[in-house]
Order: sequence, then structure tokens, then C-alpha cells
Amino acid sequence: MKTLIMGNEAVACGALRAGMTFFAAYPITPASEIMHVLAEKENEIAFVHAEDEIASIHMAIGASLAGRKAMTSTSGPGMSLKQEGIGLAQMMEVPLVIVDVQRVGPSTGMPTLPSQGDIIQAAHGSHGDYTAIVLYPSSVEDCYRYTIEAFNAAEESRSPVILLLDGFLAHLSETVDLENLPVSLKARTLLPLGQGRRHFTGLLARDGIPRTKDSEYYREWYARVKNKVLQAAQNYRFYDYLKNDQAETLIIAYGITHRVVLPLRHEYSLFKPVTMFPILDKEIRAAADAHKKIVVVEMNDGQYRGEVQKLLRQEVLSIPVLGGSISLNEIRQRLHEL
Amino acid sequence: MNYKDYIRWERMPTTWCPGCAIGTIFKQLTFALADKGLRQEELVLVSGIGCSGRAAGYFNVDSVHATHGRPIAVAEGIKRANDRLKVIVFSGDGDLVGIGGNHLLHASRRDVDLTVICVNNGIYGMTGGQMAPTTPMGLKTLTSPFGNSYQPLNIQGIITANKRHWFARTSTYHLPGLQKALRGALDWKGFAFIEVMAFCIENSGRRIGFRNGYEMLLKLKQDYKIPLNPEAPLKENELGVMKNDGQTS
Repeated sequence: MKTLIMGNEAVACGALRAGMTFFAAYPITPASEIMHVLAEKENEIAFVHAEDEIASIHMAIGASLAGRKAMTSTSGPGMSLKQEGIGLAQMMEVPLVIVDVQRVGPSTGMPTLPSQGDIIQAAHGSHGDYTAIVLYPSSVEDCYRYTIEAFNAAEESRSPVILLLDGFLAHLSETVDLENLPVSLKARTLLPLGQGRRHFTGLLARDGIPRTKDSEYYREWYARVKNKVLQAAQNYRFYDYLKNDQAETLIIAYGITHRVVLPLRHEYSLFKPVTMFPILDKEIRAAADAHKKIVVVEMNDGQYRGEVQKLLRQEVLSIPVLGGSISLNEIRQRLHEL
Repeated sequence: MNYKDYIRWERMPTTWCPGCAIGTIFKQLTFALADKGLRQEELVLVSGIGCSGRAAGYFNVDSVHATHGRPIAVAEGIKRANDRLKVIVFSGDGDLVGIGGNHLLHASRRDVDLTVICVNNGIYGMTGGQMAPTTPMGLKTLTSPFGNSYQPLNIQGIITANKRHWFARTSTYHLPGLQKALRGALDWKGFAFIEVMAFCIENSGRRIGFRNGYEMLLKLKQDYKIPLNPEAPLKENELGVMKNDGQTS
């Protein structure tokens, strides 16, 4: 059946379809609708309106350890608070989905206006080295699809997976037929608490025994966990590449920005990463090789441009769309000025 | 069940200093668990950061050593995910009522079915002996070198502000009282909080003139009284249980 729903609602529906049975969050614009939809499912899932974002991610970690697929949702200011829990879930290898609906920052910023300013935060926001899987859909249907994929990736990598949205996409209403979308689900990989003698800790530990002064073991542990996430991420390389044979310039854009620049496909090639991290190295390199200029259009001051530049080791141009307002005409004009 | 079944012997000896109060509370808890006949498979221990926070790893059951201040939040997630588990939080005052104060405030308000054991030594011991929210007024610590000028936090007040509540204050000296509190808390359906008055010899006691843990233990004996019929609220120097099932006014 076709229904008219918004991005946030699609995320909630996708989570339910993925088998999520625990959700904890704290209200925040523009992510609250995810909570609103799931609050009504209180008879089917465990739902907690927590005291803050820190509590909600830690509750989700506890619930995941206890055997449930778990999710929490927030926006930039809350995402900053959740970084503590993201680090813990990385260290304890807990599958989990964190939704960050981005708004203009820093701090309270412009709460109702969309942004893509949390790209680096999503990948590297918690302290220490770790490898994060970050997905970013660009349509309401994709919000549903990639929420499910985020759960699958979390199970397969046994790590916290981040699903990025922006305030625009979150509140964008589109007609979709979600029930008939084919999906495949990954089963749980973690034995639930109640087995008798395992110890989960945020400390570096081997078989539950802390090894806090063992540098050699840290390196071994780090390599294993990094490899584990990278291996799992191989199965989640999502992107969309619209090649224009006449074009000399490749535009990389994601999320709502991709939707805005879509009419430019007749003049330019468009590459849309859905899997933001680990960065789609082969795919972006291949697309870049066929073009003279590469430009990243994004609603931040070149955050993903930096990542692409690092990958390609060549000059990558940036069109930052700042302050929460985006217009195709403006982007087109700035492309001509490049 | 034997109390020894709850101890992860390969982890012994513990990280705790000679003369520390935490080991006593840890062992008393294993006695209470054995008394209740709780199987390892139905138990989960959660702790936070600090000396007391290390306790989770010494229990021979599934356990979680969370980040600083968050054990109650993690425990709430576990309990809501699987109601058949008995979830016990074992942590310190700095962790539970300092950095984790917000979670304490709200988990107790939501009356989550948890047993929370708070080792209250009035100091941040693991980080070297800084002032805690529970540090007595006037006490000299690394971050209050001229004496603490603030009132210590009234934990009883926070817990008993909820109409339905279970709160006990006991001490590492008063072992029968501690044992009774542990068993009572394990039996209570809802949020049960035990404040165990303790001490830290190495990073507080020696600086204020105690020569060993034993002397600090005797100070607890001297300072605290167990009234036969305590009136609510417990006075600052009283030990006992304050509970309300939410029905009685």
C-alpha cells in the first residue's frame, strides 16, 4: 500500500522491520518524530524516553547486550553527548544503531534548519582510534531501506553503526510503498547476557580480563577489530553513480544535497555515496579517474571533501552550502564559477 | 549455592589496596546472593568507573563494566530488555551520585527494578583522592586543600523523594546491618538503593591522620548508630532502611 510519510517515520518503520525491539532516546529537533512513531509501539517494543542522550545510548548498549536489536536517535547536540557511548560500544563490540538527524551547529545553532555538519563527528567523534560504518540515505524510501541495512551492518560488524539524516530529509514527505520492499535481515550475532561468566568492559581486555598496560596486545586487538569492521563493511558498499559521458566534472553529493543537484545530471556526472564510511575507495577512485575536476557539494565547510581529497591525493574542489538554506540556482552558479 | 561460586577466582587478588573497604562489601554481596540461591545465569552485575567499578569483573557471572557514571543507564537497558535477569549495580559514590547523578535521579523516579549498591567512601579514590559530592564539609582533599566548603549530597533525600522507594544506609563496620540491607534490597521489586558508608585509607585516610584501615573502621563504629525504630528521614549519623511501597502515605 502506498503511503505518504516523512523520512523520520521511514526510519522508525525500517527499524521495526529490521527486528528492533529496544529504543531509547531523548527528544530533539529535528529527530523527534522517530520517537513519536516508536512511542506508539510500546506494546511491541521496549521504549524509553530517557533523561538525556547519554542515558539513552547506554540503555541501548545494555539492551543490545541483553539480546535485543537496539536503536537510539538524536540530532547534532545529542550526538556530541552520545560519543561516549559510541566509544563504549566500539570497545565492547556491541551491535547498535545510532540515528543522527543533522541540524546547523555548532552548539544549539539553528535547530530547525538542515545541515550536513556531523560527517566527521559520525566517523571520528569519540576519542581514540576506531572504525565506524556510517550510512546516509537520500530519499524517504532509502531512509527505510538503509535503516534496515544499518541494523544488518551492526550485527555483521558487531559495532555501533551510524545512520545520518539531515533535517530536510527527515521532514521530507514522499509517497512510498514500504511493505512490498524486499529486505533481508541479519540474525543476532551476540549471545545475550545470562550465560554465566562473560565480562564486558570499556577497558582493553582479553577474554574479559583487563590488559591495560599491554601495548602489544592493544595492537593485536586493534588490528582484529579494525579488520572485522572493514570486512563486514565490504557487504555494505552502497552508492549511486550517474555517469555523464560529456561531463568533465564529477559532482559528489549525498543526502538531501544529492536530491537538490540531481537536475544537473545532464551537465555533470553525479556520484552519491550512501556508505559514507568506510569511504568507498574503489568506487570513488574509478569515478574520479574519468573526470578532470572533482567537486564535493555539501552542507558543511568541506568535511567530506577532505576525506575524498585524502583518498584521491589530488585537489578536490568544494562547494560548501552553509546556514541551512540550499538552492539549485546558487549551486549551479557556483559550479560555473569554478 | 556457595558464595565462592560468585567469585571469579582467577582474577584474585583484586586491585583494591590493603585496608580498603570495598572487598568487605563485595564479599557480603556474594553471601547475600548465595543466601538467595540466585543462579549465575539469572544474574548480571554492572559497574561504572572507579575502584568500586572494578567489582563487576570480579564476579563470576555475566557482567558489564560501563563508562563513568553510566552503570544505572546500562543496567536499566538490560533490565528492560530481559525482565528475567536480576540486575545489580555495584559502584562508588563519585560514579553513581557524582557524574551519574542524573541517571540516579531518573531511574529511581521510574522505579526500575534494580538493586544499586553504592560504596560511599566520600572521595574519588582511584584518581588520587579528590573531593566527591559526598565528601564531608571541611575535609581536606586534593581539590579542596583548604577544606571542603560544600554540604555533602543527601542521597537519602533523592531516593525517598519518590513516593515508592527503598533506601538503606549501612556501613562496612556494621556487617549484620549490611547483610540485612543486601537481602532486603535483593527481595525488593523496584529500585532499591543501598548506601554503604565506607572509607579509603590510601588516598584520603592517611592524609587526614588515620594510620590504617582498621582505625577508619572504628571511626565508622563510633560515628554511626542503628536506631531501633528509626523515624523518617534517617539522621546523618543513623543507619537503617527507609521504604515505601507507594500505597502507604
